[in-house]
Amino acid sequence: MEKYDVAIIGGGSAGLAALKQLSNLGKQAILLEAGSEIGAKNISGGILYSKKPQKGTVVNVEDVYENFLNDAPFERKITKYILHSTSKDKVYSMDLTAAHDYQSNFGYSVLLHKLNSWFAKQAIESAEKFGGGIIPGVHVKSITWNESGNAIIQTDELDEFEVKAVIAADGVNSEIADMVDARPKFTPTQLYQGVKVIVKLPEEIIEKRFGISSDEGAAHLFAGDITLNHIGGGFLYTNSDTLSVGAVYHYHSQLTNPSEPSALIDALLKNPMISEFIKDDVPIKSKIDKSLPQEEQLRVRFAMAKHIKNWNEIRSSYLSSSGRQRLIDSGKYKTDEDIKTRLDGIENQLTKLGVSFGSDYVEAEYGAKLVPDGKRCRMQKPFFKNILFVGDAAGRGVFVGPKIEGLNVGIDDGVRAANAVARAIDKNDFSANSLGEYYSKETENSPYTTDMKQIDKNYLKIFLDATKDIPKDIIGSRYGPILKMMSNERLRGIAVKFANILGYDKLLPMIESEDTYVKIPIQLAERLGNTVSSSYSPSIPSLADRIGNLSYNDDHSSHIKVLNPNSEFMKKMVTLCPAKCYTEEGGNVIIQHEGCVDCGTCSQETEWKHPRGEKGIHYKYG
Amino acid sequence: MGQLNIAVIIKLEPDFSEGNVSYNPDGTLNRAETKNTLGPHSAIAAHAAFFGKVMYGAKVSIGTMGPPMADLALQQAQQISDAEELHLYSDRLFAGADTLGTAEVLKTGIHKMKEKMDIVFSGHRASDGETGQTGPQTAWKLGFTFLGNVISYTVDMETRILRAKRLISLQGTPNIIEEIEAPLPVFISIDPTYKSSFDKVSQRLAFHKYQKEATERADNYKDYFTMFNAKELGVDETLVGLPGSPTIVYKVERVPKSTATRKAEVVDGSDPEQIKKVVAKMKEALDAMVIK
Repeated sequence: MEKYDVAIIGGGSAGLAALKQLSNLGKQAILLEAGSEIGAKNISGGILYSKKPQKGTVVNVEDVYENFLNDAPFERKITKYILHSTSKDKVYSMDLTAAHDYQSNFGYSVLLHKLNSWFAKQAIESAEKFGGGIIPGVHVKSITWNESGNAIIQTDELDEFEVKAVIAADGVNSEIADMVDARPKFTPTQLYQGVKVIVKLPEEIIEKRFGISSDEGAAHLFAGDITLNHIGGGFLYTNSDTLSVGAVYHYHSQLTNPSEPSALIDALLKNPMISEFIKDDVPIKSKIDKSLPQEEQLRVRFAMAKHIKNWNEIRSSYLSSSGRQRLIDSGKYKTDEDIKTRLDGIENQLTKLGVSFGSDYVEAEYGAKLVPDGKRCRMQKPFFKNILFVGDAAGRGVFVGPKIEGLNVGIDDGVRAANAVARAIDKNDFSANSLGEYYSKETENSPYTTDMKQIDKNYLKIFLDATKDIPKDIIGSRYGPILKMMSNERLRGIAVKFANILGYDKLLPMIESEDTYVKIPIQLAERLGNTVSSSYSPSIPSLADRIGNLSYNDDHSSHIKVLNPNSEFMKKMVTLCPAKCYTEEGGNVIIQHEGCVDCGTCSQETEWKHPRGEKGIHYKYG
Repeated sequence: MGQLNIAVIIKLEPDFSEGNVSYNPDGTLNRAETKNTLGPHSAIAAHAAFFGKVMYGAKVSIGTMGPPMADLALQQAQQISDAEELHLYSDRLFAGADTLGTAEVLKTGIHKMKEKMDIVFSGHRASDGETGQTGPQTAWKLGFTFLGNVISYTVDMETRILRAKRLISLQGTPNIIEEIEAPLPVFISIDPTYKSSFDKVSQRLAFHKYQKEATERADNYKDYFTMFNAKELGVDETLVGLPGSPTIVYKVERVPKSTATRKAEVVDGSDPEQIKKVVAKMKEALDAMVIK
């Protein structure tokens, strides 16, 4: 049997950081990833922060990857952060850039497929020096221990092998946690459900529309009627030449009053402000004349496909300064005008084929994931025997109002776990008492853990400052006195102290309510908002089209097994599954797993596993 | 234990994917407007060579006969196989060759490669012509043992014996897998269902290490690339191109469409009434079947 020191399971941002850090420390490590390549299974809302907390230290992305700032394919540095309250065509906006900048070096919008692939490239380069590396397409199915306490890892794809320590970075639906019983499955009250679409939009249109330069980005948050009465909200982040438009809702609120996740996205896209944000010129194919000979129909169909493909490629390059340069460097064009002439030429040919151009938007990818709320579900001791849990797998996400952080927490955890394992290798002691307890103490000292435990009064002040113009009667009798007390410089300290004594358990039902996420924003929009109108109505794809556009490597048998086909929970899955994998027939819920996006929404009452290696969803953007 | 040397012969073929392929008004392929790519069967042969690289540290060379732009296919095959030597045999004299004329060029090219080959791989056939004979004919000209429809192989590096599994599909009989062994050198025409598999962590690590190396090499493929014309290759001009081809294509005819024997009816899927009729008909057909 082959033997290694440490195996990292899961190639997301946290697992990759662990691999890079172990290699930075000169230790051999291997990382197993279930997807056919790194990034295939990764999806996030889309902002990666680098933080500088006042108390304690965190390890940031640029500390792990020394050339991050010069070389990494992040999208845009977020320089504008705005919260919009919506009600139909009314929008009231508050600038929260100060909250975004709070104790932060930067926040970049990111697309995880691209970014994690880059992380992986750096990590592999370091890991190879010590005989380690990344092995994609491998799904771990069991971990057992031999008499010397080493873990025996069995996978669906490889011969079993032995390791001294395991770093479990297999995400919010951690199968490792489940199979060794390290913690109970997360419950709906501990989770948020996120859905997102990637919208294509050329670079220079983004910059003009959002009032940003080529090295700036904007983040827009939404609350109010677009939430369809759920606790949570919408977001729109600018990437280089795409937008991330998504919705994140408290899973418990979704379970109480189920809305289809795709309908929550649609509610966002239909909001006139967002419709205008995502608008683009698109070619509209004409129907091919069926009376033509079949050969001619085929020729027209292929010609249209070819020209539209060319048009899209050249246009998106033409509307980007680096894209134009790339085309000129390739030698195909001499000047910008040459490119424009070519583009006009294709447009002419398309017009001749009956293609017209109009306003619409272009959706590139639909996806979903669960997000752990660290306030409610972080593992108090994130280890089991010689397995250390990091990031989402340990339930460690920071969720405080609009402050949503996960990637940076995972990276910090990954480094802490790597340091703990490196120490264990040096001491040759991988026991829970030494390795596990040390790592547990290290994560407990992380400023991110503090964020999951306590309200930060300085962060709170930023909100209070942003809300000072709001008429008090909108805030209502329930929040009025609290706000008044919090707004007083002297009383705020006492109030926050009192609140922290109460703890998040008691506070959360008060802060996270329909009032704060839905009713107050609607009032704000209606009374103070500006009217926004949209010049077109976006043609939103059906869920079937969205799923049809995703890439899958089908597995013949289902990785999810329904346990109670007629439970109340499973019946709700018919609505709540973002990929509509569930249908009800004669009182029983049945699954068709082919469209599954591995989000884990149904995991509470199913036998839930990730698909075998290389199988299942393959995100291109993430 | 010596070195293992592998050659792959490949072919540049039209890319039939939508957005890349063009058709003439009469429905035939418009070759000038259609993009080209490494043939899908050639790609499988390159994968099989890469298996040898990962498992036995083999040295891989690739050869192709084609127009100068066929260097694209060599680059794509290098990306798959981590080859260290790329040969393009290109000359007007080679034009109009049938499979036998092509095999002569490839044989001469393989002899021209730096190493003495232990295994030569070819694809099963080409996607733009029923040219499955090129492989066997090259094997015959090389004097190598020919193994067709190979779905997996291993090499005993001590005894220099290759063991392979062959998939035999005969109409009307169940598929069988033959396990055979042959002393090196051999010529393998790879089965379309071939898929490399690596079962050990260490093999997977080697796989990814060489894959990365392949990408780096393919980015600088010109460093590994040599083009030969007929003279440089030193071929016998009577055995290549048109003179070396006993067969010529003197006429191309489209296969006339046979008239449909089944009666088809167009149904409007949005009309529930019409769908009901379809379901009723399907039920009727199923009820008539013996297996229920």
